[in-house]
Amino acid sequence: MFPLKSRLISFIAIGLSLIMTSCFKDVDFEQAQDIKLAPDLEVDLLFYELNENDFLDSETNAYTQVIRDTVRLEFLDDEYIQDGLMYAEFRFRHENSFPNDIKSKIRFLDKGGREQFNVNYDIPAGSIDSPSVIDTIHVMEGSDISRVRRSIQMVLELEMLGDGKNIKGGLDFSSKGLFRFEF
Amino acid sequence: MLYNVDDLPQALLQNPGTRIDFTKHIGIPFFSQIHLFAGSTGVNAYDIFSDENPKVNQRVQSVMDRITSGDYFSVNEQLEILSFGWKIGERGYISAGVYQELDVFAYFPKDPALLAFEGNAEYIGKDFKFSDANFSGEVLTTYHVGFNYKLDAKLSVGGRFKLYSGIFNTESTENDGVFRTLETPGGPNFYRHELDGLDVVVNTSGYASLKEREGMTVDQAVAELLSRSFFGQNVGVGVDIGFNYRVTEQFAVNASIQDLGLMFHQKDVENYRYFGSYETNGLEPLFPELNNNQATIPYWEVFEEQLDANLKEETTYEEYNTWRPLKFNASFEFGTGKSILPCDYLISKKPRFMNLFGMLVSGVNRSKGPTYGVTAYWDRKVTDNLRFRLAYGIDDYSLTKLGLMVSSRFNNFNIYLAANDIIGYTNLAKANSASLQFGMQFIFKDL
Repeated sequence: MFPLKSRLISFIAIGLSLIMTSCFKDVDFEQAQDIKLAPDLEVDLLFYELNENDFLDSETNAYTQVIRDTVRLEFLDDEYIQDGLMYAEFRFRHENSFPNDIKSKIRFLDKGGREQFNVNYDIPAGSIDSPSVIDTIHVMEGSDISRVRRSIQMVLELEMLGDGKNIKGGLDFSSKGLFRFEF
Repeated sequence: MLYNVDDLPQALLQNPGTRIDFTKHIGIPFFSQIHLFAGSTGVNAYDIFSDENPKVNQRVQSVMDRITSGDYFSVNEQLEILSFGWKIGERGYISAGVYQELDVFAYFPKDPALLAFEGNAEYIGKDFKFSDANFSGEVLTTYHVGFNYKLDAKLSVGGRFKLYSGIFNTESTENDGVFRTLETPGGPNFYRHELDGLDVVVNTSGYASLKEREGMTVDQAVAELLSRSFFGQNVGVGVDIGFNYRVTEQFAVNASIQDLGLMFHQKDVENYRYFGSYETNGLEPLFPELNNNQATIPYWEVFEEQLDANLKEETTYEEYNTWRPLKFNASFEFGTGKSILPCDYLISKKPRFMNLFGMLVSGVNRSKGPTYGVTAYWDRKVTDNLRFRLAYGIDDYSLTKLGLMVSSRFNNFNIYLAANDIIGYTNLAKANSASLQFGMQFIFKDL
């Protein structure tokens, strides 16, 4: 039986040498812990297109100087924002064809209604033929990013300056966020 | 590596019409064939985890840029449980057996991965295609019986009938739809986000019952899987057919197809479907006139309701069928150096060639089309009991695939070992594929 044994041994030897020599070289699998998912997401936020009727009471037609609304942005409370958001760049663009200056207040509130950060600016008066445009970029990074993580409501407030006479025109708003993550 | 190896019964599994050189065989249960294969066309471990420098994310980025949705990962394992066969009459040979197989095949989901790794910011206007998610996986047991018949001195043909007993299956190969972010100058907002024609379906069989029984012990799980091996669950049928034609004494051509078959998934089926279309420019506040106590419009809830109404998910339990991955082989072979036969007028055996040179084209049909490989080999019979084969192949995985097969017989006991992509074995981190076949059995010959 020796020849059979020797052949079996030689086969096992070939198999073992294949396995022994077949190793993973020149690699460091520990680096798997350093692999990052780092997506940059461009996301539309809010938009509106207002006209003079939005500044008039629907029943009395009285001039309403200040209008406001609140939108919950539930996605800001999602786990991936809480865990991975590193940088947020908000862009707000107003196009005003009202003949009045308008004060815009954009506030971000947490669940309890406490303000986390705001972006306030004045929108100069424009005209239908030549609307004024204000394009604002607001960056939140570093320690400020926790304010974005805590936010969940976006409050918009518009105050039209002036007496409200002859306020023909419109106010268009667009907004987006660039959110950079690291997971 | 075992194709056209006429003194190994495993050659009959690859081409039931191949020429064979034995009269009876019986495999050692569970050890007559153990086959392991793993491969990846677009990336290997070194590409990502090279220890040259610590910039692992840079290398991931570089792989992401290079790899395409046509690249794929594949794992295949076969374990022969039973194998036996014997000669019938002067020209026939019947062979049968049972083997268990695992087959996993996944195309690289380029667009979904790109979206996850890099996001949409640098890809405004790009269609992220959900059809890039394309994968299948199955575990099954195959019961087979085949017949090989020498029609005349030149032509041998064969066929094999297979019954499949499904253990587990999943497939997601017909996905559709795109996600895109478009710039909308003059539109209501900066962008429009569109999910267009989403239709993602993942079919499973043999999964739901395992999922539901979380507390299952290993013994229970093994018992469950074993019961499925014996037609306890889903079944299928298939055939292999093949031929070998000796054009001249030295030159032969042959071809075969394997696993022309269907699996019918009727039990323990659970399918998941995600479908619909939706587009948004963001949320539009309407500045309603509210009293102090009035809550504003629940814009987010409305948005979610719209999403739910337009993007749906459902779980269905409809039966489905899957094609088995069809394999095809075609080769020609040229022999030199006739063997010397014993001078015995009772033996009608034809002389064989000690050196065989061949070229084999083989492939497997997959959901996005067939994969191909071409192998040239030199097959050397050192003695009637010792044979080796040296092969060089190119395929989607590698352009430098060196293979080695050694088969040896002592009395009627045979043992063989075949390894492909030997260069890769020296450092698996840099190999795109590796395969190993090993087995032992009893083979009986006239001589």
